Amino acid sequence: MRLNSLLSTTARWARAALALAGTVLLTGCDLNFWRMDGHQSTIAVDGPVARSQRDLFYVTCWVTLVIFIIVGSVLAYATIKFRARSSADEHAEPPEQGHGNPMIELGLIGASVLALVIIAIPTLSAIWYTHDVPEADKSNAYDVTATGYQWWFRFDYPNEQIPGSGTLNTSNELVIPAGRPVRIQLRSVDVIHSFWIPKLAGKVDMIPNRGNFLWLKADAPGYYWGQCAEYCGDSHAVMRFRVIALGPKEFNDWLNQQMAPARNVTVAGAAAAKPQFASYRKDFKQNERGWSDRFELNPLDSWRAHQEVDAKGEDAALIQQGRQIFNAKSCVNCHTVRGNDGSGINGPNLTHVGARTTIAGGLLENTPEQVARWLRHPDQVKPGNKMYYGVNKMAGYLKLGDDGFPVRDQNDNYVPNITLTEDDITALVAYISSLK
Amino acid sequence: MDATVKSHFTTKEEHAPAKPLVFWRPTAKTGFVSWLTTVDHKKIGFLYGLFALFFLLVGGAEALLIRLQLMVPNNTLLTAQQYNTMFTMHGTTMIFLAVMPLGAAFFNIIMPLQIGARDVAFPRLNAFSLWTFVAGAIILNVGWFLKDGAPDAGWFGYAPLTTKTYNPTHATDFWVLGLQLLGVASIAAALNFIVTIINLRAPGMTMMRLPVFTWMTLVTSFLIILSFPAITIALLEVMMDRQFGTNFFEVSNGGMPILWQHLFWIFGHPEVYILILPAMGIISEILPTFSRKPLFGYPIVVFSGACIGFLGFTVWSHHMFTTGMGTVATAAFALATMAIAVPTGVKIFNWIGTLWGGHLSMRTPMMFALGFIWMFMIGGFSGVMHAAAPADAQQQDSYFVIAHFHYVLIGGSIFALLAGIHYWFPLIVGRQVSDFWGKLAFWVIFVGFNVTFFPMHFLGLNGMPRRTFTYDGNMGWNTANYIATIGALTLGTGIAIYFIVMVYTFFKGQRAKRDHWDGRTLEWSLPNPPPEYNFAVIPTIHARDAYWYEKHHREQIAQENAEHAKEDEAHGGLHMPFQSIYPLVASTGVLIGAFGACYHKLIVALIGGSVMLIGVYLWSMEGAEGYHIHLDADGNIVEDPHAKH
Repeated sequence: MRLNSLLSTTARWARAALALAGTVLLTGCDLNFWRMDGHQSTIAVDGPVARSQRDLFYVTCWVTLVIFIIVGSVLAYATIKFRARSSADEHAEPPEQGHGNPMIELGLIGASVLALVIIAIPTLSAIWYTHDVPEADKSNAYDVTATGYQWWFRFDYPNEQIPGSGTLNTSNELVIPAGRPVRIQLRSVDVIHSFWIPKLAGKVDMIPNRGNFLWLKADAPGYYWGQCAEYCGDSHAVMRFRVIALGPKEFNDWLNQQMAPARNVTVAGAAAAKPQFASYRKDFKQNERGWSDRFELNPLDSWRAHQEVDAKGEDAALIQQGRQIFNAKSCVNCHTVRGNDGSGINGPNLTHVGARTTIAGGLLENTPEQVARWLRHPDQVKPGNKMYYGVNKMAGYLKLGDDGFPVRDQNDNYVPNITLTEDDITALVAYISSLK
Repeated sequence: MDATVKSHFTTKEEHAPAKPLVFWRPTAKTGFVSWLTTVDHKKIGFLYGLFALFFLLVGGAEALLIRLQLMVPNNTLLTAQQYNTMFTMHGTTMIFLAVMPLGAAFFNIIMPLQIGARDVAFPRLNAFSLWTFVAGAIILNVGWFLKDGAPDAGWFGYAPLTTKTYNPTHATDFWVLGLQLLGVASIAAALNFIVTIINLRAPGMTMMRLPVFTWMTLVTSFLIILSFPAITIALLEVMMDRQFGTNFFEVSNGGMPILWQHLFWIFGHPEVYILILPAMGIISEILPTFSRKPLFGYPIVVFSGACIGFLGFTVWSHHMFTTGMGTVATAAFALATMAIAVPTGVKIFNWIGTLWGGHLSMRTPMMFALGFIWMFMIGGFSGVMHAAAPADAQQQDSYFVIAHFHYVLIGGSIFALLAGIHYWFPLIVGRQVSDFWGKLAFWVIFVGFNVTFFPMHFLGLNGMPRRTFTYDGNMGWNTANYIATIGALTLGTGIAIYFIVMVYTFFKGQRAKRDHWDGRTLEWSLPNPPPEYNFAVIPTIHARDAYWYEKHHREQIAQENAEHAKEDEAHGGLHMPFQSIYPLVASTGVLIGAFGACYHKLIVALIGGSVMLIGVYLWSMEGAEGYHIHLDADGNIVEDPHAKH
């Protein structure tokens, strides 16, 4: 038939074109995406909770794969074997009008139930295992509270009380002891978020007015990527965080450093110039990645490097100037730098912000250039963020009206509340970077 | 009608009783007004189909924008807010404005034909459902053209993101009111279908002789009337919070956001079956026809369909495995979810059993139907993976879930609906779709679909969360996202081919002969397109595949039909319902009222409510009577007294 030959010719051409297009498109692409070994892999995991979840996934995967192969083979065989090969075939006498066979049906139902039981048993045991720290390990568990905000995470350490200042808290980088179970209380102050560190544990939601928790354990010291996994408004995609697991000694050192008040760099000599900022890029595109390849190579060591104070490279006068701007431009209303200024709680605690690898909710690497980018255009880095638009009737970069929303002028433009000059930004960057 | 089935109608003078002017009866059979006032289930179904296909394309365009944004890391094609609007509207549009009404289109057109009825039980209520659906669609989408913008709180609208604190613009009001109207439309339509199937079956059409598609219509309709009240209440609570300062979800006053999730998913999970059961019904029609043998294990297919419907109400919390339900509840919902795989698997076994030993005629509808089985199997298996709750803690809200439910909703529902359009096109339109172009569209869609969604399994397992407008290039997600976007463009091309062919065939296609596919169910006994009155003589049913039986027992059927024709005539001819403008008036009132409610304008809302009440009042006062028509031997209307008015 003419139509049939046309069809097969077209099919041949289509196959050739597809192969060609495929080759062109995929050359140079990394084709190993099925290895699934990224920073947030749920397959290449590093803790017992995530491992139990992954192993259960493998069970479901294998059981369904076997069924798929069996059923698929029968379906493929039936399709090929019984298809009409010609128009005469199509119009031949109809086949026997059979209505089914109850024994086959019952047998297949039984087999399906059996397959499901194979999945159900490990499911039940994993539900109980992943729910809470095993009894035997409970006394060893370390407690942390994580709280979701639009769009960042706050971490409290209820065991670490600072005299006169409440519990130790930090944000966006959760530091935990490796090899010990960690029980994390999950809270939210605004909308629903979800706390997810794929390599350590599956997610549990942070729901306002409801206390949730999860537990996890990191096998060994490491640096882990996490991300909010429940849609929570404009900047949900960039609500990220990190988990750093440390050995016992290093963890204690870190705790001690965090318990201390913020550094206060005082003017020792004449103010130096600020040449190191001159070469910084200012034209970051929206969504542009905030990472250097150097950081990627060994993030845990990068984190360790961030803990070190580089007193030599510091410009004390500039840092003091930054501290004044931090006060003057009302940063203190939302941020706390314990020991220096501020007691705000709407934004992340910045007491030791310089010792974190990331800023802006795990989105940008903590380098002076990226901090400047964040201070210059917070709305471009994190759309809708509270530092720019204000929160709880407290103004940010924009002026707020009585209704708590940014005011617009006659031309429908926002009216500014805080304006930072490039010099202000330079000083603030120096100050923030000094807060190790 | 066959020449053997002659009727001996006599004409009888008949007029509608005189009525005041407000009870003007529209009589136009063609033209714009005829469509606005129609009560004919086929025309209403056709309009449902047109609107649904329009929104399928709108939702598809939104999907392509989403894929283009994610094609490369750190892309800036869309802003965060635009992207959030896109995925919110993509989900809402596809579920409520594309797949559901496309199912409703088939319910409307095909179901009455399959049971040997001349219309649905309440023709004017049917029109009201249609126009209220249109009103809901308008409200949902009106934000695109207004300052407030379209809804952007997600199709699932998780409180407290939908409260005034976090979504102060009217965009969320559009979403709330739009869904509320769609619920009204769906419940009214579902009640109509249930009453029709229970009461208007032709003599001999026992419940266990109903075609499977009609059975699935019945089950789906029950799911709608039982599940929509839950979301109606939930939406009402959000509306009260937003408009009158009540405190269901407002967190700062102690509201409980988890309540929304329970109410939403008690609706939302049956909704999944509302989307897939009609698809299963369509497949259960197509496979027997193109295998030329009856459905394998009909009673079990029907029973498993009903079973899925029941179990569908017991598994809602598997959407909430990560909300901290505790071990016992999680275990219970995990096991219930696994249980639902049994009746679903049974259907697949029976479809394969239907193919076994048949003469498979590989036409376009059959290709889509076979594609459905393959894709639905994959979607079903990844569904079982989600049922293992601890594994789901990693998959929930990741791209793995996106892959799963697109295999169910595109590979499942959409494939079946596209198969159904191809299958019933010759009947509804009377024209024959080119098999070559149909198959070409199928293959492009099939390849594009798999290239788009299969890599998403890997993306999800590699930790990519959904609903994210951007991602960094260092996460190992670049290649899979790139491939997925290429696939989406291919899928879009396939859909374009499909619809261009359909539009061409609609206007220029070759005339199809009667009973185009050698069908088995009653609708194929009709001329194409079917006349307004459907059946010149209400048939008597003797077997499950009624028309197949008829084709093999022509003399017996002819004799019966002649007797029935005489009975009909003794009752004064074929009774037809009058057309009416009032369903449209009532729906317009609903639209105005909802718009007023969106903008918190009491006056507008009251005006809308009044228009609706007036419409309903006049609708009930004009009465339900109709008129009689008489047919000659060839099924032509010999005298239509109604046309004189």
